[in-house]
Amino acid sequence: MGQIKLGFIGLGRMGITHLSILNSNPNVNITSACDPSIIINIFFKKYFDSINLYHDHTELIDKEKPDAIIVSTPPNLHYQVVEEAIKNNINIFAEKPFTLSYKESSILANLAEEKGIINQAGYVNRFNDMFLKTKELIVNNVIGKLTGFKSEMFSNTISKEDTVEGWRGNEELGGGCLNEMASHAVDLVNYIIGVPDMVSKSVLSKILSKSVDDVVSSTFIYKNGISGTLYVNWCDPAYRKPSNKLEISGTEGQLWVDQHGIKIFLKRAYEMYNLKEGLNKIYITDVFNNVPFYVRGNEFTSQLYHFIKCLNGGDVKKVCTFRDAAETQKVLNMIREDSKKGKFYDAKN
Amino acid sequence: MQKIDKVILGDNQFFGINHMSQEKAQQLGERFRELKDIIAVYDYAVENGINAIMLNSNDRAKEICDYFRANKTRYSDISWYPSLPYPHKYANLVAEKGIVSAVNEVIFSDNSTKGLLSLVAKGSSALLGQDAVKIMQMLVDIEIKAFHDLNIKVIFLQNIITDLLLGLKAKIFFKEYADYIRKKYNVLPGFLTMNLPHLVKHFTEWGIEEVVICSSINKIGYLMSPDIKTYEETLKNIDKNKYQIMAMSVLASGAIPPEDAIQYITGQKVNSIVFGASSEKNIKETTQLINSYFN
Repeated sequence: MGQIKLGFIGLGRMGITHLSILNSNPNVNITSACDPSIIINIFFKKYFDSINLYHDHTELIDKEKPDAIIVSTPPNLHYQVVEEAIKNNINIFAEKPFTLSYKESSILANLAEEKGIINQAGYVNRFNDMFLKTKELIVNNVIGKLTGFKSEMFSNTISKEDTVEGWRGNEELGGGCLNEMASHAVDLVNYIIGVPDMVSKSVLSKILSKSVDDVVSSTFIYKNGISGTLYVNWCDPAYRKPSNKLEISGTEGQLWVDQHGIKIFLKRAYEMYNLKEGLNKIYITDVFNNVPFYVRGNEFTSQLYHFIKCLNGGDVKKVCTFRDAAETQKVLNMIREDSKKGKFYDAKN
Repeated sequence: MQKIDKVILGDNQFFGINHMSQEKAQQLGERFRELKDIIAVYDYAVENGINAIMLNSNDRAKEICDYFRANKTRYSDISWYPSLPYPHKYANLVAEKGIVSAVNEVIFSDNSTKGLLSLVAKGSSALLGQDAVKIMQMLVDIEIKAFHDLNIKVIFLQNIITDLLLGLKAKIFFKEYADYIRKKYNVLPGFLTMNLPHLVKHFTEWGIEEVVICSSINKIGYLMSPDIKTYEETLKNIDKNKYQIMAMSVLASGAIPPEDAIQYITGQKVNSIVFGASSEKNIKETTQLINSYFN
């Protein structure tokens, strides 16, 4: 494709991060953006005047006809933006959560596949060096046949009572811990272990927020006999930054992984990976891959450079497609539905 | 340009930051819950001849600085290398409130700037977009307050901000930041970055000179974008009169044996090494190694 003409839909925290990363890619020409914030518009007009600003995505698509767009709007707007872009044959990178329903996500995945556009969603863990290594170890049966897992995520995102403003504090706009945070932990399970056939005993509870969930817990069940648990809490003061933890049990060993390292216990040595019997440790410094330009972590650059590589054609295995994101959306919806029918026993009784 | 110190004690170990292990990071955070335990480490450093401290403007910076101000005679030789802002404060605020409200909150929660920004309060918050340089200056003033009356040598911009602005090729903010730090504080402007070759290339083009650049530099190429080879090339050709280089993550979070690490780094054209350590033994050994290899 040569130089890719790129437009940005949404210039909030993630939009600006993506803009900074992609602006370093020599194959990219960022020509346009839109965001409803008056302040953001004044700021970009004054300081980044090479970018054409538009009132909305429709105007941007009509007038600019970009090769690709980066969608970082609040999640409830993803559907309309993405649908319109697909209809105009525009390639799309869309932030997570992909949409707010499995139905909408599936429609978009189908449409994108029919049109043959390049499509990717922002589940960034799929580009983290530690989780990539974990996937490789699991696929190669290093810990044998999987039997169970525990997927956890903690952060101190919400630290004060009910201070969340804007879309993040509104479930209907895509806010809340399940949409925002747990979606990463669920996607990691889908990616490394597989999509569960059933979820059970799901609970969405509040700690500090008034109108959205702060804690998500659930049990995942698979027809092949695997089961696992999910626990996500975004009001945990012990964590300085978001932390994903996954513990996986297999017939031949046990594996613990977070963004920084892997611990792996094996019943017998596994020579191909230079792993001994007993406890092994793999650190990020053993497996990292440098990226051309670093902004928030290697994975943020990797995912966007992957998108650009896909746009430039060639034999690139697509990672984190709309289809993958729709599968994650399916599980998020299962958890929400399941949480509504819960039968609980009060400890006091 | 004023020369920066050769050996500087960093602060990651105090605040639960370890690039390799979250568990280790949390244990460290726990160990340094009390100020006296932090001060004990600074005392080891001073006893081993370290007279320079790099400290992020996080929520514990104030109590640490208060201590050093109160004991000024005892620590009269210490130079300070603050870095700002504390990125997670802003990241969390932005996550909760959005970018504009987050900036608003920081500025309004600071008493001294209330008068200045009365305009914004009256509804003209478009000022935030119109004069972002002024906002940046105000944020610098707020963040640097904790360090008042200490002997500051360099004021660093944290890498998350530096690299974000670098990607945006926001020349004006780099220029204005450097000018402001020089004029208002009369110290050297500094930039932390994970993209040193990229930064040097742009700074050279933009004519931004006489600044300090701090970046991960280590034998295994950890946190060095785009790669170790480009770093080595850039360092080889660097104009030392324009850019002083401070190396961090030289031990790559412990992945490189200390002697190998120091031997490698002292073979590069760097002016200074900042390292974090929490035990007397590690501080002593690392300092001795640096002094034996680094002239």
